[in-house]
Amino acid sequence: MEIKLLSEHYDKPEFQGLDGYKKLGGYEPLKKAFQMQPKAIIEMVKESGLRGRGGAGFPTGVKWGFLPDNGEPRYLLCNADEGEPGTFKDRLMMERAPHQLIEGMIISAFAVGSHKGYIYIRGEYNEPTAILQKAIAEAYDAGLLGKNILGSGFDFDLDVYQGAGAYICGEETGMISSLEGKKGQPKLKPPFPAVQGYLGKPTIVNNVETLAAVKYIIRDGADGYRKHGTEKSAGTKLFSVSGNVMKPGTYEVPLGYKLMDLINIECGGLKPGRKLKAVIPGGSSAPVLTAAECADATMDYENLAQKGTMLGSGAVIIIDDTNCMVDMLKVILHFYHHESCGQCTPCREGTGWLHKIVSSIYSGTGRLQDIDLIQQVADHMAGKTICALSDAAAMPAVSFVQKFRSEFEFYVREGRSKVKGAVDAQV
Amino acid sequence: MPKCKINGQEVEVEAGTTIIEAFKKLDSEIAHYCYHPGLSVAGVCRLCMVEIEGNPRLQIACNTVVQDGMVINNNSEKVKETVKWGLDFHLINHPLDCPICDQAGECELQIQYMKFGQYDPEMAEPKVKKNKVVDLGSKIVLDSERCILCSRCVRFTEEVSKTNELGIFNRGDRSEIGTFDGKPLENDYAVNTVDICPVGALTSKDFRFRQRVWYLKNKETVCPGCSTGCNVKSYYNEEGLFRVKPRQNDEVNGYWMCDKGRDTYKFVNKENRLLEPKVGQSGQWDSQEVDGVMSVMSTKIDDAVKSAGSDKVALVLTGQYTSEEYASMLSYFVGHLKSKNVYHWVNNPESFDEFDGLLLRGDRNPNTKGLLNGLDQHGITAPWSDLETKLNAGDIEVLLVAGPEDPSVFPTLTEKVSLFSKAKNLFWMSAAKTEAADSATTKTWQIPLKTYAEKEGTFVNHKGIEQKIQPMVNIVDCAQTLSEVASALSGQKVDHLGSLVKDRKTNHFINHHGGGL
Repeated sequence: MEIKLLSEHYDKPEFQGLDGYKKLGGYEPLKKAFQMQPKAIIEMVKESGLRGRGGAGFPTGVKWGFLPDNGEPRYLLCNADEGEPGTFKDRLMMERAPHQLIEGMIISAFAVGSHKGYIYIRGEYNEPTAILQKAIAEAYDAGLLGKNILGSGFDFDLDVYQGAGAYICGEETGMISSLEGKKGQPKLKPPFPAVQGYLGKPTIVNNVETLAAVKYIIRDGADGYRKHGTEKSAGTKLFSVSGNVMKPGTYEVPLGYKLMDLINIECGGLKPGRKLKAVIPGGSSAPVLTAAECADATMDYENLAQKGTMLGSGAVIIIDDTNCMVDMLKVILHFYHHESCGQCTPCREGTGWLHKIVSSIYSGTGRLQDIDLIQQVADHMAGKTICALSDAAAMPAVSFVQKFRSEFEFYVREGRSKVKGAVDAQV
Repeated sequence: MPKCKINGQEVEVEAGTTIIEAFKKLDSEIAHYCYHPGLSVAGVCRLCMVEIEGNPRLQIACNTVVQDGMVINNNSEKVKETVKWGLDFHLINHPLDCPICDQAGECELQIQYMKFGQYDPEMAEPKVKKNKVVDLGSKIVLDSERCILCSRCVRFTEEVSKTNELGIFNRGDRSEIGTFDGKPLENDYAVNTVDICPVGALTSKDFRFRQRVWYLKNKETVCPGCSTGCNVKSYYNEEGLFRVKPRQNDEVNGYWMCDKGRDTYKFVNKENRLLEPKVGQSGQWDSQEVDGVMSVMSTKIDDAVKSAGSDKVALVLTGQYTSEEYASMLSYFVGHLKSKNVYHWVNNPESFDEFDGLLLRGDRNPNTKGLLNGLDQHGITAPWSDLETKLNAGDIEVLLVAGPEDPSVFPTLTEKVSLFSKAKNLFWMSAAKTEAADSATTKTWQIPLKTYAEKEGTFVNHKGIEQKIQPMVNIVDCAQTLSEVASALSGQKVDHLGSLVKDRKTNHFINHHGGGL
């Protein structure tokens, strides 16, 4: 069953504007937050069990607690650089409910003591950018942004910054580099952004969905929010479901929801006559699950981790028996090869190497030893670099080859796909 | 101070020391390309991986600070395997240019491969093609295929020269070092990027293809280019000097030197040298033997002193010589001749006190301080204008000038020679062959001197730090040091044959195939 917190009013066009948003209860939680002590808000977010919705799943309240108390200005950055293949939940929110993000940001900024925030939005998101800018202007006009918000004495300025389309700028330190006007490349950690982030100042970076969820934690209280989800994965989550289902789209379900229910109930099941082959549960960088593994999978951090994969950004890609896994891996690796920033050697060279190996299998010139080589190369890329892009390329490569080895072997031997009807390479 | 264990060996380091620095302190080997002690940490080559007890993930040594009690190793199978693969990632798209690459022999990638690699490549796919022979400016050429993108050069132009000419363009395995249109890599420190480039991606236009590095010897010396006295290594063979590179001295120059200092090998070589003594004036010159010139000089001085007093003899010194040479010349003049007629020739008074904020000083002499110390000791204070007055009045019988070793830093050379020509007899001592000296209009003897590469001695830099130079080559056999001149004049035997470079091995490659100079 869908439980709609964030997406409750997505279907109402008036929710996009300030008046409609207010009529449906908008900015009431903000007033409530202003009655609280910032520290109490941080505590409440900690108690709610909210974890980062961008991919890494780090507890939000704990992250906020890392800010040093050194009197330096602090920045609150919203990561709206939604680039993980398969993910489109943030875009929908920014289009349908921009004020929900703005309100979440004001509350979060008040909690962490920041007076300046940026929404770093993906380069390709022109329409959401325009909608957000309009909503921010409305908020300024209504005294919800700027000096002395709603008479609370709290000041907060918010801007939208549109990226240039690089996937790596969704990595929080890459995003900070880009926002600073530099080439979008991740920075060495330590120091972590909470200590030295944007312009060298303490900085909190949260995902769109995370910041919007803060509003509902204030509205319903920590316990109210925890009511949904599991013990370690509290609350609801927006899933972007794509691939071979009848009704792909964004669905909000409580964490811990059964994957097969998401496919069969929310998404209307597979196309007639098709069989489920695999699911990528958390965006293209998450290790793939076989159909057998999907049977008892639940959509939460701990169950998917147990299965050797991850919830990631909540991008669920459904793969049925008409898809060729060699082809799919080639497409995924093309993406990471294209998007590696080129800073760290294992990633810069490894992403290209993996892409070339799989491409040569795909074009019929692969060697049997290439299948093991993919695993070896990927093994030595993972965990060896500044950021996780290297892992993001390595994890699908390893899991595809391990779990669908026969398809790769068939392709090498026969020079064509094992899957009937799949488009073979033009050799 | 935190203590840690590195490969079983205990070491105590200062708080804040990184693991790679601790390795260096122990002289323990650790592979790395992007780390450079004079630059910020980039952490991108991922080769300096170490295993820290209690941490399942390998960490990079360059960005991890030693904590008390850390147990660190880089010799476990896990680390070795990772470093081997790290090397492989560097090599898969690296071209097999070694036979034609100027860096061969001093390439860190090559050294690493010979140590840990020596296996057939795993990659069967075609390598990435990138730009070769990219002109980055007047001094440097880039080969992007050889570049391992360690970003040392980029960080150098950001952090040291602060000129920001270089950047990494494009991304992933298409990344290339480059400059912006219309802003080439032109600064006084640009060639340092060639030194710190671990591979043959950046090469110096001045040096490339002139010598294979394994045919060159090198010795530690001090740059004579200005009063900073950067610590350098000069690379040479019996033909002469080929290049100069900086060596670390935190007190003086850190890790760097300026590009002007790199040119200081040129005036040492034969084509720029005064090769034998000669006598004459106004373009009419006859060759002489050293002994003959010395005895003429001695006689002329003695005659002048006897007939008209020591006031009729004068000595001009520049800041280009060693403290030992000043000492012997001054003791000859003050002690033997009882004359204080000694003058300091400041070659470029207008820009003498300038400083570029990094290393290069307007005083383009290595030992002005040494000269001033010597003059001080002997209580010599006569201003330059006194010499001008005496010369203009025709009061100088014999003038000895220890002229330029590097004429390029003497902007008013011709003007000065015409002033010196007002002496009745001019003894012009210099390592350099110059048109200015040849244009002298009085009776002049030119005596070849040794350069800093052919003698030992001391330079005192602008801070007062005394630094030693040492002989490495012998370019002009009959060249003298000022000390040798002084001892000859004071009646001692002149040994005009250099005693240096005793074992001259024949370089067959150069003699039979190469071009030499």
